[in-house]
Amino acid sequence: MSAKTEHYDVVRKPIITEKTTMASENGAVVFEVAIDANKPQIKEAVEGLFGVKVKAVNTTITKGKVKRFRGQLGKRKDVKKAYVTLEEGNTIDVTTGL
Amino acid sequence: MQVTETQNEGLKRGYSITITAAELDAKVNEKLAEAAPGIEMKGFRKGKVPMALLKKQYGPRVLGEAMQESVDGAMSKHFEESGDRPAMQPDVKMTNEAWKEGDDVEVAMTYEALPAIPDVDYSKIKLEKLVVKAETAAIDEALASLAENAQNFVDRKKTSKAKDGDQVVIDFLGKVDGEAFEGGAAEDFPLVLGSGQFIPGFEEQLVGVKAGDEKAVEVTFPEEYGNAGLAGKAAVFDVTVKAVKEPKAAEIDDELAKKFGAEDLEALKAQITERLEAEYAGASRSVMKRGLLDALDKAVSFELPPSLVEAEAGQIAHTLWHEENPDVQGHDHDTIEPTDEHKKLAERRVRLGLLLAEVGQKAEVEVSDAEMTQAVMNQARQYPGQERQFFEFVQQNPQMRQQIQAPLFEDKVVDHMFEQVKTTEKEISKDDLQKAVEALEDDV
Repeated sequence: MSAKTEHYDVVRKPIITEKTTMASENGAVVFEVAIDANKPQIKEAVEGLFGVKVKAVNTTITKGKVKRFRGQLGKRKDVKKAYVTLEEGNTIDVTTGL
Repeated sequence: MQVTETQNEGLKRGYSITITAAELDAKVNEKLAEAAPGIEMKGFRKGKVPMALLKKQYGPRVLGEAMQESVDGAMSKHFEESGDRPAMQPDVKMTNEAWKEGDDVEVAMTYEALPAIPDVDYSKIKLEKLVVKAETAAIDEALASLAENAQNFVDRKKTSKAKDGDQVVIDFLGKVDGEAFEGGAAEDFPLVLGSGQFIPGFEEQLVGVKAGDEKAVEVTFPEEYGNAGLAGKAAVFDVTVKAVKEPKAAEIDDELAKKFGAEDLEALKAQITERLEAEYAGASRSVMKRGLLDALDKAVSFELPPSLVEAEAGQIAHTLWHEENPDVQGHDHDTIEPTDEHKKLAERRVRLGLLLAEVGQKAEVEVSDAEMTQAVMNQARQYPGQERQFFEFVQQNPQMRQQIQAPLFEDKVVDHMFEQVKTTEKEISKDDLQKAVEALEDDV
């Protein structure tokens, strides 16, 4: 499957933290994805962009914090993260970015 | 790491060093592991960044360092094993220019080894030590000049006029265009006429005044006066003369001695004698040193590294050229070709330099920290008000430290040699010593 422009709208960027490095030991890669993207879309996008076989997608929404700016209440944006487990034998080099 | 010899003729040496990719990689990993606990990266706690990421991020930078280090290490190891000492910084070049990560590194190194320096047979060298006793005449002369410097000013009679060399005590107020300016007024100012302390013309006009006189001194500030607002302007100084004093040489007695910190005249004389003799000793030492160096120059001969001689000859030619053409300030002129004479001089210098260094090393002559600090202090005194900066400059500048250390080291080595060679004392007069010193200066 080849990469299409809309794939880039779904998968925003890889997330590189201690936690995700731990997940990568179990063959999972973590991405920040569009808030309205669903699991099938994410699967298709990752397979298309990186040319890998995806086994499963788990998603989670991290709610943005409520912050006060110059006395006014505001809210940081919510972020959807996708834990993409790859089929065995597939890898993604996350550090190179999208 | 592999070292193979490619050239070995005379003092010239050429080697090629190969460092395998695996060795280099191990070095990089080692370096990264060492740095890892201190690295902070977003998304990770300090020191928890995984190795793979570190390598990706910092690898190329560390690689250069590692390469440098392993080449340096290989070189120093080679020098240690072969016992060679390079005369100058070895010329190091990478031979495989199209190098990329994962390849073996090949480096070609060429240098000139320092020659083996033969031991010096000190028993063959005989030196004359010139001893000069301080003469009474010289002491008296020194005393007289001290007395002159310590002149007092004594009030003249009320009616007598001030002469050149007199001191006048004055109040003055300077005006430009009828307005007083800053720094142009003082009271009870002691001014020695003819001392050139004030702007030209001021002191001359005060010659002939008496105590109690008032005088308007008209002068023009010189064009290059320090204060731009005043330069080139005409000014009038209202001067009131309070006293006129004449200089009077201090008498050579205990009073004078006390002024210079000695207990009485005898003590002062002793001090002067000591100082004079120290001066003579210094002069005779440099004559003796010259003798020693001449003797050494004849006594030993060995092959000299041509690059050192060439550099030294170039340096000599350059300095001499600058002395002959003092109007050229910069160093951006054409290179000066050293003549045969320069080369001969350079050979002597290089040979003696190498010999002294070798002897010093064998005899374990070292310059102690205290001596070093002392020398730095002496130099710092040449820059009054900036001693601190000078100190810091020296501290941060190993080359400068080297420069200060070199003469110290040389002196100590020469001292060491003086102990080894036979010296005979010979008493001569002060004039003879002076002649010897002058002859020495002519030679160089």
